[in-house]
Amino acid sequence: MGVLLLVGTRKGLFLIRGDANRGSWGLEGPLLTGWSVFHAMQDSRDGSLYVAGNNFVYGGTVQRSSDLGRSWTRTEGLGLPEETGLKLEEVWHVEPGHESEPDTLWLGATPGALFRSDDKGESWEPVMGLVQHETRESWQPGAGGMCCHSIQVHPDDPKQMYAAISAAGAFRTDDGGETWVARNKDVAADFMPDPFPDVGQCVHKLLLHRERPDRLWQQNHCGVYRSDNRGDDWQRLERNGLPAGFGFPLALHPRDPDVAYVIPEEGAENRVTPNGRLGVYRTTDGGGSWELLQNGLPQQAWAAVMREGFASDESDPAGIFFGTQSGSVFASASEGDEWTEVAQQLPPILSVEVGEWS
Amino acid sequence: MVVVRIPSLLADQAGGQGTFEVEAATVGEALQGLPVRDLLLDERGELRRLVNVYVDGEDARRAEGLETPVDAAGEIRVIAAVAGG
Repeated sequence: MGVLLLVGTRKGLFLIRGDANRGSWGLEGPLLTGWSVFHAMQDSRDGSLYVAGNNFVYGGTVQRSSDLGRSWTRTEGLGLPEETGLKLEEVWHVEPGHESEPDTLWLGATPGALFRSDDKGESWEPVMGLVQHETRESWQPGAGGMCCHSIQVHPDDPKQMYAAISAAGAFRTDDGGETWVARNKDVAADFMPDPFPDVGQCVHKLLLHRERPDRLWQQNHCGVYRSDNRGDDWQRLERNGLPAGFGFPLALHPRDPDVAYVIPEEGAENRVTPNGRLGVYRTTDGGGSWELLQNGLPQQAWAAVMREGFASDESDPAGIFFGTQSGSVFASASEGDEWTEVAQQLPPILSVEVGEWS
Repeated sequence: MVVVRIPSLLADQAGGQGTFEVEAATVGEALQGLPVRDLLLDERGELRRLVNVYVDGEDARRAEGLETPVDAAGEIRVIAAVAGG
């Protein structure tokens, strides 16, 4: 069994196969040429690959492959109903459903839309409780459109979920998606007249820790945050070692809920890695302090990593992986202590996820 | 029957087939008869903004759009607008 990196780029999907030791790597692709792969993942429940792919002429689609990318089936009929007054713009993120619902998947999209599939992605229904949320008039699009980019399902309860939208904020459902409540207390929105509104926050990535599912992390436009009570309260974290609170991607350790990784950028007005070098920052104490990891990373770089471009695997020690807008993929088999460039000169990288192959 | 030709990226989404013969009275019916209809028309059945359709060389948007008759047409070509990067 080897590690399979799914690398979504602006010009197709690449697969990078690593051996079990994550020491040698082989590149395949591009697959789905002509499509911007905003997100690609492997559903661990049946091994299928799913792609959220967009084309500037032909719109947004979901593609599924049950043979590791040799053939693909496209979802048809994806869209928003007329009563919403909205039209689907782009698809952003595909998330597997709960283990107890093996045919269920979730899809995040612009404009601020969430869909549910109960047939392995053949058909999708909009989640109207979020699409028509009472606060929608206060939402506004970020630079990437009003994208629903983060979807997290509680590992013990399929009815508990989280979704995050830029710039609408974080939302939680306790009834499987029927109703949603905003959960943005103490999360800053410095670009608003009221810097702490109920909604309108620009979440860049939100993740739940599977071993401690009441704990959420978010990389926001305005800081790095952690919640230990399902989003009811958020604590801002970046003041002990991080060079900036601004950034897009976020990765969590597969087992230790106190370990998280971010790749900050200088700020909203200069979206490159700080100090002219590429560095990953790791906390091992729940965000109390952060250390710079840069062994094996280029020491002169003005790079950027997109919100979906960071992932971890389940191995021990954990593997950590990210891809840059300048087309490089970096891998660490040592929880971030050492890094190796495993692909370069790819098209701009939009997403990195980890799967497996045999 | 009218012949419809689609670009290679769409042919990839149609099992490699780039030319179709379809029964249709209008451009809209012809596009609805294709296996890539969802990529040409949005969820309201409207032609996507950057999809251009030519009926015997004439831009359907300058005629009657999706209602443009095609009974006497020889060929419909679907062409992506020049856009993107």
